[in-house]
Amino acid sequence: MPEIKTRDDEKYLLTGATGVLGSHIMAELLLKGKSVVIAGRPLGGESLKERVGKLLHWFGIKHLEGLLEIYETDFLKIRLGLGEDEYENLCSRRLSIIHCAADTSFSEKNRERVMKSNVESLTEILNFTLKSRTPCFHFVSTAYAAGTDNIECPEAPVNSAHFTNVYEESKACAENIVSKQCREGEVPYTIIRPSIVYGNSITGRSLKFNALYYPVRFLKHIRDIYLNDIKNNNGTKSTESGIYINDKGVLHLPIRIFIPNEGKINLIPVDYFTETILSIIEKPATETFYHITSNKPKSMVRLASYTERFLNITGIEIVIGTSDADEMRNPPEELFDHFIKAYRPYLSDKRVFMRKNTDRVTCRNLPPDLNYEIFQRCMTFAVLATG
Amino acid sequence: MNDVLKTAKSCRHYAMCKIDFLDTGLCKSGAEKHYVSFYPQGRMDIYAALAENTIPVTEKCVEIAESCDLCGRCDYQCYFVTEMKPSVVMKALKEHVRLHLNNGGEVLTAEKDSILDELKEIVGDYWATSDRAVALTYSHDPCPIAGQRMPDYVIMPNSTTEISAVIKLLNSHKIPYAVRGNGSSVMGFVMSEGAVIDLGRMKAIDFDEKNWLVKVGPGVAAFDLQKAAVKRGLRVNVAEPAALVCANIMCSGIFSTFSASYGTAADNFIDAEFVGHDGEVFRLSDKSAPNLLGFKKEDSTIPGICTAAYIKLHPVTSDEGAVFVPFESLEPALDFTKECAMRRIGLAIGVLGGEYISTFLSPTKKLAAEVKDTFRDKLKIGYLVLVIGDKYALNSIKEMKYNYFDNRMIRILNLGLPSLTSAKWLNLLDELADGEPFSYLGLKHFTDLAEAALAPSPAKLVRDVDPELRPFFEKLYSKPEMTDPVWLNMFRIISSRMGREKHVVCLIIYLPIDNELITEINNEFKRIADSHGLKNDYGFITPLDDGKRCVFEYDYYLDHNDPDEKIKMQQALMEAGMMIERYSAETGAVTWIRYVFSQGFRRKESFLYSIAGVDECPK
Repeated sequence: MPEIKTRDDEKYLLTGATGVLGSHIMAELLLKGKSVVIAGRPLGGESLKERVGKLLHWFGIKHLEGLLEIYETDFLKIRLGLGEDEYENLCSRRLSIIHCAADTSFSEKNRERVMKSNVESLTEILNFTLKSRTPCFHFVSTAYAAGTDNIECPEAPVNSAHFTNVYEESKACAENIVSKQCREGEVPYTIIRPSIVYGNSITGRSLKFNALYYPVRFLKHIRDIYLNDIKNNNGTKSTESGIYINDKGVLHLPIRIFIPNEGKINLIPVDYFTETILSIIEKPATETFYHITSNKPKSMVRLASYTERFLNITGIEIVIGTSDADEMRNPPEELFDHFIKAYRPYLSDKRVFMRKNTDRVTCRNLPPDLNYEIFQRCMTFAVLATG
Repeated sequence: MNDVLKTAKSCRHYAMCKIDFLDTGLCKSGAEKHYVSFYPQGRMDIYAALAENTIPVTEKCVEIAESCDLCGRCDYQCYFVTEMKPSVVMKALKEHVRLHLNNGGEVLTAEKDSILDELKEIVGDYWATSDRAVALTYSHDPCPIAGQRMPDYVIMPNSTTEISAVIKLLNSHKIPYAVRGNGSSVMGFVMSEGAVIDLGRMKAIDFDEKNWLVKVGPGVAAFDLQKAAVKRGLRVNVAEPAALVCANIMCSGIFSTFSASYGTAADNFIDAEFVGHDGEVFRLSDKSAPNLLGFKKEDSTIPGICTAAYIKLHPVTSDEGAVFVPFESLEPALDFTKECAMRRIGLAIGVLGGEYISTFLSPTKKLAAEVKDTFRDKLKIGYLVLVIGDKYALNSIKEMKYNYFDNRMIRILNLGLPSLTSAKWLNLLDELADGEPFSYLGLKHFTDLAEAALAPSPAKLVRDVDPELRPFFEKLYSKPEMTDPVWLNMFRIISSRMGREKHVVCLIIYLPIDNELITEINNEFKRIADSHGLKNDYGFITPLDDGKRCVFEYDYYLDHNDPDEKIKMQQALMEAGMMIERYSAETGAVTWIRYVFSQGFRRKESFLYSIAGVDECPK
């Protein structure tokens, strides 16, 4: 795997800059004084410039706006939706490309949309890549593109035919296309595979509050609903569901979380992700796969105890197995179970993600352990931000 | 303008004070004297005219003012619809007249009039008048394209024979006339500078259950007829509660969400009796009768006075219920609606937009605005399709894998609306949905959770209602029917709230359930109103004739006391009319209700479809 020579004045073209990972990559590159070309789309009446502007404000780096160039593009259109001159001009600049844009829906109902966004759109992006003779094409994928066939997942092309959802499947498919076309076109490339990303482990800040945040946010709202019921409505509905305030003044909220086996959840903080990906793109080795994953995944039992402590509740029980649909459940348990359906495979994951390449490029810089202090910091920020 | 005058001038003329829709009892003087002038609606007009010095104090004016016992029932009724309290106007009217009399002011008496004497001979002394105060209350409505027309006479006959004689007399004197039900069409149709014939005394309702029909006099309001039918375990297909049934058929033909199964126009009646323009009586089913079942695409006038209609009765099963199926956008809502209609699932079907849902369910404007935002922004509900049906129909919807709000959930949602608007957990429902919006509604216990979260109660729902009226409204909302969508759709008392913020002008068309065409026309309606700065919104769509066609209402709103808005509305209506005509010509399948007016007794097929090579396209 030959190392690719990079220049200090290297410029990057970044897609997905308005997403969680892409925005952090953008911010980090700007902070390092790099020029970044953003390619993306407007949304809901907001121009790409406005969307990016808001992010710069969030990161507190509005003063670095001058390092940015913004192109409104449509990856499904010929020449990325750009005019001929504009496109040719961009090609001629030989930018390193970080392709981060993706549709992260897990839902089978969104299959067409996800495949279009994550796979079909590659045609024009790769056309641009090949034409521009980019120094390196970095494809941000997911550790879960590894599929479900193997417990041990090497930093290597996908060797699995089975996936948990359409998102994983689309990313695996995209990895294969990127590898094949870049190899054939003799364009250096890397495949970067993060696991599940949460907020900044040092500041607790996060742009989005999904994944790890969903169960905690959900339970916080459920807690508040029943506390209100007990306080203002004699607890009628709480009693029906076996919810009460115990003798220590703590809300007992009996919720069983069903997971298929004793596996763990692989989480990394966004600051670690950013630091690691910057190390990779600074010294990329072509045709190399990198796992940005945790070497110490957390068990759901541990996360449940963090959640109980954080929300000052009791009653969360992790149950190995599947729930019986006809079994008596209380309303919060039923709703919780319904909503974590899509995330369930990630909660008890037995896969081990090898990270030899990542360790090499980062000199074995490992992610911080998700202890209660980090959990609390991140969740406190989330609660303040989302209410 | 002071607040009292502002209230008086803001009366929408929806005639809701002429029906006892809240079980408060009717305005006593109105129920006795029948002229609209003796109802709160009429008193509002009279006070405004006296305050602005456009009519003198007349004999009837004194009688009208003095007959008000200030019982305050009008406050409950009017607040329910418009959030206004007319009793301040009632007081002001009494005070105005009292001061006038105390100061020795003149009271105008009607001049000697031989025609009036002849009219009185026919209908009785009390039931014909040329009094200016009474005439005023029949001279205008909030319609932005109709000016005021003061009638010389107002006549209230009480039988077909009397109507016949009145028509012959008016004809002999070449006096033009308008026939009026409750005037709740508010389209300027029921005014005349000659005579206005008010049919409000003819309130006979005679059931013939063996023949599944009820004979209805021309003074019977939809609400009262439905009430009588429901007492017998039956149902009729009627429209707005204060609309008089015969007048409503005559005007546009009755359509409601129940038209999905009961039909519209001639589907709703078995026969009808008329007094023709020559004063002769005929029945629709007479072989020699004028052909009122036919249709011609033209602006028409009424073919006569409907003096009785034999309305179809429909059976009601004990397992009827309602569901609201939520959709983010109009197209999938239309697909679902079409599917239900084509499969003949459900008795009543309506695709409702956010404006209707929020306005209908909320007792105040403020709450309605919050609810509208919450539905759109947090729950991501753009449209709700209402389906009323028996248990088999509702089970079919479940089998079709649609998630919905059922009767219990609707009650919880309605009585818990104030909590809903402040609920922070709603965003999470949408975030977690990932491609399966509203899937939570399919869960067994979600309703229990919603009940815990919203803590619904009549007291909560009415917490922003005027403190004086709050106890009444709390009691009102504790009645099960007030949150029962089946009852509410049969009696339609909450739909009158659509004019609460501003007077509403309805643009109604018949067309195929063609998603592209409907979306285009919907966007055009919006574009036109927006360009004139008028409040506007999608109204509703109900499928007709097994989903082959539908009736589509889009609404424009105006402050009818604002001359600028009136001009803007006139311009917008003209443009909207031209737009409809364009689509009508292009598609051959769009019919504007304008051409259906006064032809409401025709067969629906005659205006929903056209025959190539035979009919002008569309009819």
